[in-house]
Amino acid sequence: MNRFGLPPQILRLVLLTALIVGTYAVARTLLTPATFGQYGHYRGAALEETASRKPLFAGAKACDECHSDVSEKATKGHKLISCESCHSASSAHVRNPDITTVKLTDNSCLRCHSSDPARPARHKQVTTIEHYPGDHCIECHLPHQPNKSP
Amino acid sequence: MEADLNVLQWSAEVQAALPHVEGYAYPNETHVLWSVLIVIYPYITGLVAGAFIMASLVRVFNVRALAPVYRLALLTALAFLICAPLPLLLHIGHPERCLQVMMTPHLSSPMAMFGFVYAWYMMAVLLLELWLDYRHDFVVWGRTEPGLKGAFYRMLTLGANDISPKALDLDERMSVAVTIIGIPSAFLLHGYVGFIFGSIKANPWWGNVLMPVIFIFSAIVSGIALCVFIYTELSWFRRKDTCDACLDAMGKFLFFALLVDFSVEALDWLHRLYSADESIHVLKQLAAGKLFYTMLIGQLCLGTLIPLGLLGATQLFGAQIPNFVRRRIYYFSALLIMAGVLLMRWNVVIGGQLFSKSLRGFTTFKLELAGQEGWLVGLGLLVLPFLILTLLVRLFLPNEKDQPANTPTIAQLPQLAREGNGADDPAHERPSVAL
Amino acid sequence: MKPSCSRRRLLGLLAGGAGWLASLPFARTAKAAVKNVFASAKTPDGYNPTKHHWLMCIDVDRCIGCGLCAEACKAENAVPQSSNYFRTWIERYIIKKPAPGVAALRGDVIVDSPNGGRNGFPPTLVPKAEILKAFFVPKLCNLCEHSPCAQACPVGATFDTPDGVVLVDPTYCIGCGFCIQACPYGCRFMNPDTHTAEKCTLCYHRITRGLQPACVEVCPTKARIFGDLKNPTEKDPLQEFIRHNKVFTLKPHLGTEPRVLYANIDKEVR
Repeated sequence: MNRFGLPPQILRLVLLTALIVGTYAVARTLLTPATFGQYGHYRGAALEETASRKPLFAGAKACDECHSDVSEKATKGHKLISCESCHSASSAHVRNPDITTVKLTDNSCLRCHSSDPARPARHKQVTTIEHYPGDHCIECHLPHQPNKSP
Repeated sequence: MEADLNVLQWSAEVQAALPHVEGYAYPNETHVLWSVLIVIYPYITGLVAGAFIMASLVRVFNVRALAPVYRLALLTALAFLICAPLPLLLHIGHPERCLQVMMTPHLSSPMAMFGFVYAWYMMAVLLLELWLDYRHDFVVWGRTEPGLKGAFYRMLTLGANDISPKALDLDERMSVAVTIIGIPSAFLLHGYVGFIFGSIKANPWWGNVLMPVIFIFSAIVSGIALCVFIYTELSWFRRKDTCDACLDAMGKFLFFALLVDFSVEALDWLHRLYSADESIHVLKQLAAGKLFYTMLIGQLCLGTLIPLGLLGATQLFGAQIPNFVRRRIYYFSALLIMAGVLLMRWNVVIGGQLFSKSLRGFTTFKLELAGQEGWLVGLGLLVLPFLILTLLVRLFLPNEKDQPANTPTIAQLPQLAREGNGADDPAHERPSVAL
Repeated sequence: MKPSCSRRRLLGLLAGGAGWLASLPFARTAKAAVKNVFASAKTPDGYNPTKHHWLMCIDVDRCIGCGLCAEACKAENAVPQSSNYFRTWIERYIIKKPAPGVAALRGDVIVDSPNGGRNGFPPTLVPKAEILKAFFVPKLCNLCEHSPCAQACPVGATFDTPDGVVLVDPTYCIGCGFCIQACPYGCRFMNPDTHTAEKCTLCYHRITRGLQPACVEVCPTKARIFGDLKNPTEKDPLQEFIRHNKVFTLKPHLGTEPRVLYANIDKEVR
């Protein structure tokens, strides 16, 4: 018998359990990240961190700052389409106009307008072997106003 | 023409992109994420749970015939339990963050419970039971063994050196209590592993209420088979005869456990086939195609039906079969069953990822040789517990060469302890236990 | 020493320990509250996640399968280039006519998504005469009301944000892959470089700056409808969408209750 009046085995086990639980409690207070639980069971700071990434696509508004004449033209033709759909991600170009956007080819048109049975029938589609084979799209269609010819 | 070239390029690119996909699979599904390590993880925890439940037959259900393998089964469970987290740690992308599972456990995730279930089972069940069972021996060995080894045993007593009959009686009673807590804990440990798969409703092959039950019974089966295997091997290494009564008892439990396991899995399939929800077509194709060899041939025929037949024969014709034949039947069945259960884990884990959740196609899994998720690592993880077990056996199961024939078995100990208690004999020594 | 007295002492010790343990969660909540006051979350332009609720819906009838969305997504979010990893992708459904002599309305369904559709779609190999109908379906995170992925994450590294997005915390994810298995829509993948789970963030870095998600920005037909449920604009596209369309969700029987609604979808879509 010891001074706690418990059999030695039980005393050892009680102390050991207390030690383990205590260590866990201390570790938990120390190792839980600071913003954990701010909004829910996760690190609140993760929201900021995810949001801090730099956008690559600048958005149509940014293009409009300098190229309002082109966007004006497009309102009469490809009006639903954002500039970066065809001209690709442009935030680098917005920051430094010397960096140019990608050059467009016939494929840029065909990506949307080659015929495919899965495309809605109302969408304008062409089969290249039937529709003026050998000619380039821009020979007949203005890119921003495709219903107009150059 | 440019556009025509475009078409040609396309066909080549499309064919080259996903040669290992048949039909349609979501693009993110074409790579099998949980590989051989996640096959081994439930296998090892299953062996732990099974071996422990076998040991509990001695302690709680008083199956005296199994007494010779009581300690061996517990040590086996410990050796495998030590290895259980290894496949997980090797598999996860950031093993250095593993403690987060304990620090900020997300209570709605079954996987978050791993740390706690594991710690509980290790500390509160297995180590405690072993300690209570071995305390007397630790004290004795601490006195008799020289040098470091003696110091090691003395350390393991944690300073509790009282081996009076009264203290041993307390050990015994606590030990029974721990085992009684241990049985549901073993079910929890492995049922929880089954629940990890069973709770995934996104995957019709996994999301199934029977999954934890199937896992528990296959665990019991594999654990008993492992004990048969290790007991036979250890006896062979030590040039000792196996105890036929003990093997017969294990064979009996193995047979009935396998029968239950088989029935539950058959029920699972029957239910799937009869209720025939939208996934049944893809699952049938999976079983008859990609899983034909591992499931129908390996798991069902070799791992279940043949052992059922062999063990069933020993149950029917018990005494008519010569002892040495029976021994070999048990050993051979145990090997088949262990392989079958490993294949069952494979079929669940890998099979569940071979078909697309769009239920429209299959992807292919190729096991690499080297690499973190390869053959070699998997094999190493399966061998490691045996190495640890060898060490444990050398430390804690000394080879008693000249053993008296009438050594009392562990199941008789409570009585002996109580008798000793009544006699109040301070010199009363606990009899050593047969292997 | 008398055992009864020391037993009381032990009990006192244990009770003290238990009390300390019990007080820990409260202490932590209090600590977090104080932290909130002194260091409020700094997102671009003082963005407050509790003041928004974002949502994207899909009008299948408008999708032309150009794949610009999938391509823009890969670029904007630095998604691994391999054809095994997509945060958004496009599927092409081709429903064939029933075989001659078969009394059925429709025949086989053929689905493909070559390279996630990010380069557009090659002409289908199914002869035109055999096709009954065909359509494209863009796929993305379904923003489930009861996200099975967030439910499954063992550490709280993936979660529903107050503004309606499901995010992954890449510095906290342990890479177990459980969320990937739990997603019924195949919208998640394990990033082979960071070894953490990854998924559509609705371009969280863009929407918090007042921009549209990259896929919505580049979609030439406005098949992707995006908006803020807490701050509807005049003629809000989402409100118009729900008023004028009959909408469906994917795999409704799983009870995940996706908030991403699909208009004009066919029963074959899974």
